[in-house]
Amino acid sequence: MRNRVLLFAALTLVIVVVLYAPGLAAQAPSAAKRIDATAIDPEAAIKAAAAAAKAAEDAARNWTPPRTAWGDPDVQGYWLTATYTPLQRPATLAGKAFYTEEEALAAFKKAVEVDASVNPSTVHYDWKEYAMDGWQSPVRPNRRTSLIVDPEDGRIPPLTPDAQKRQAAGRTAAQARNPQVGVQTLGNLYTRCVTGNNAGPMLRGGNPGSDSGAAGVTAEAQIIQTPGYALIIAQSNDDARIVPLDSRPRLPSNVRNYLGDSRGHFEGNTLVVESTNFIVPGTNFNGGSAAMKLTERFTRVGPNTLRYEFTLDDPSTWTRPWTAETIFPRVDPPLYEFACHEQNYGLMNVVKGAQVSEAEANAKKD
Amino acid sequence: MFNRCPAALRAATIVMFVLLWALIPTSGAAQAPPAALFPAYTAPRTADGKPNLNGIWQSLTTANWDVQAHGAQPGPHPEIMGAWGAAPGGQSIVEGGEIPYRPEALAKKKENFEKRLAPKVTNDPHRYDTGEPELQCYRTGVPRANYMPFPFQIFQTASEILMVYEYKGAARTIYMDPHREAPTDSWMGWSNGHWEGDTLVVDVTSFNDHTWFDRAGNYHSDELHVVERYTPISPYHIKYEATIEDPKVFTRPWKISFPLYRRVEENVQLVEFNCVPFVEELMYAPVGLYKPPSK
Repeated sequence: MRNRVLLFAALTLVIVVVLYAPGLAAQAPSAAKRIDATAIDPEAAIKAAAAAAKAAEDAARNWTPPRTAWGDPDVQGYWLTATYTPLQRPATLAGKAFYTEEEALAAFKKAVEVDASVNPSTVHYDWKEYAMDGWQSPVRPNRRTSLIVDPEDGRIPPLTPDAQKRQAAGRTAAQARNPQVGVQTLGNLYTRCVTGNNAGPMLRGGNPGSDSGAAGVTAEAQIIQTPGYALIIAQSNDDARIVPLDSRPRLPSNVRNYLGDSRGHFEGNTLVVESTNFIVPGTNFNGGSAAMKLTERFTRVGPNTLRYEFTLDDPSTWTRPWTAETIFPRVDPPLYEFACHEQNYGLMNVVKGAQVSEAEANAKKD
Repeated sequence: MFNRCPAALRAATIVMFVLLWALIPTSGAAQAPPAALFPAYTAPRTADGKPNLNGIWQSLTTANWDVQAHGAQPGPHPEIMGAWGAAPGGQSIVEGGEIPYRPEALAKKKENFEKRLAPKVTNDPHRYDTGEPELQCYRTGVPRANYMPFPFQIFQTASEILMVYEYKGAARTIYMDPHREAPTDSWMGWSNGHWEGDTLVVDVTSFNDHTWFDRAGNYHSDELHVVERYTPISPYHIKYEATIEDPKVFTRPWKISFPLYRRVEENVQLVEFNCVPFVEELMYAPVGLYKPPSK
């Protein structure tokens, strides 16, 4: 009993101290939840992105890339793959590989403003209402005018005659299917929840001027390393790529994966991942064939910055290999479960709608 | 009888009865291996000094068909699937053999089984009323992911342990340090872990109510709470135990256990099992949304 009295007295003392502590009392009114301005105000987001890019540059000076406890270069963390930079250099910027710092910021500002604005009469999802616009993430401005750095013109190399034939045949087949709209013909791998936005190369490129996921929603990716393995998990569709780092043989060429079959090794401070065995038609990025080889390079270039480069090589599709590059800023954990197929209402609605439109168009023809 | 026996004989009889009692099989359950089979074992350590569970693991149970004891069964379409579609018999992984269902929940389990082949593809949550989740390539939840007939790989760091399952490529993060709060309910639940000696203990919460424990219709509600224990007992075996609690469906917590075996083949790796394309005809054809691209 005496103990209980003492305990009560002690609790009372704590409560009194808390109530009368001047610092704590002053904080009380601000207890209401504060929303970060960069999540709701594009102007604030643009300023913050410019400052973050500057800070990352400063932090990268005199910085030594870390190693894991077992001595491998350490590229682990949660990274953001979003970008407003287009994959291919626009014709208006021909011959100009880099913006000045001012131009880069102006291009970024324009892309953010286009992304943030919606036409209320046609909008289906206003992504910013779900905090899914690119500018609501730590996306950064880029001095490059295109993600493609090789060839020098910043454009995907010409298709081979063989690839042109394949694409023409694909278009003819698509027309012949009408009226046969279904989930497999109208849907793509992403809308069918087969693979996510980061399957294959983890970089798609922004499309300033369109609202087709300009900077990429759900663009986070996590890299984990254990002795002998790297694991790359994309937030989009939870796509998980397991990368053995020993020199084991590849899967035989008849074994095909949507995410390919990956092998990795280190070159200096860079994790190099080479992937083959992609399913075709499937992850045939920009029309690649079954022979496509994807090489990715992950290099830490600052405490909170990862450089990502990819090269696509497929002699039956492109007249030469091509390479794109950007930086991934670090983002906060965690990733969330991306159970897409389990509740794919969107696909059903879109296909049903397309079938109705198709039936109406056919009725008019008759 | 005891009154007429000498004390020593009486004691010996009691010991014998106790031994016999211990030998009575509990409903044919095959669970984690008896401790005596494995001498005391200390697992090798990771760089941060924790038991090293990295590797590719797989269970060898038939619990995915039914976590309780079951005889072999013909498949649902023996006319075309023959022996391919049949289910192997197997022993229970449930301690004591029986799942302690509430009476109304047992009725629901039976209904689940009857409607296991009837997916309902609708635009509302009724799509989860019937149809076995694995049949539709849905995530399996926990603990089922660990006894699917597919391997999974453990990636262990100091802050997080990742488990990647070959079935559906489903990934699951166990937050070690810091623990994190579940943002919302999910299929695989939300996992926070800690070490108790050499045992990885994982507290899994925030499940939705759409997953089943097996193809037999054993199920749970969104109040499911699972505590898993992964104990390395040899370089090649992990003793897996899970306590399952769900007051909406069960009268008391119950326990499952089985060994996980390390996959030791040279160059063994997970091979993608992305089952979405395998179920599109099954799910979308009955509602008129599936047109094969070849036609």
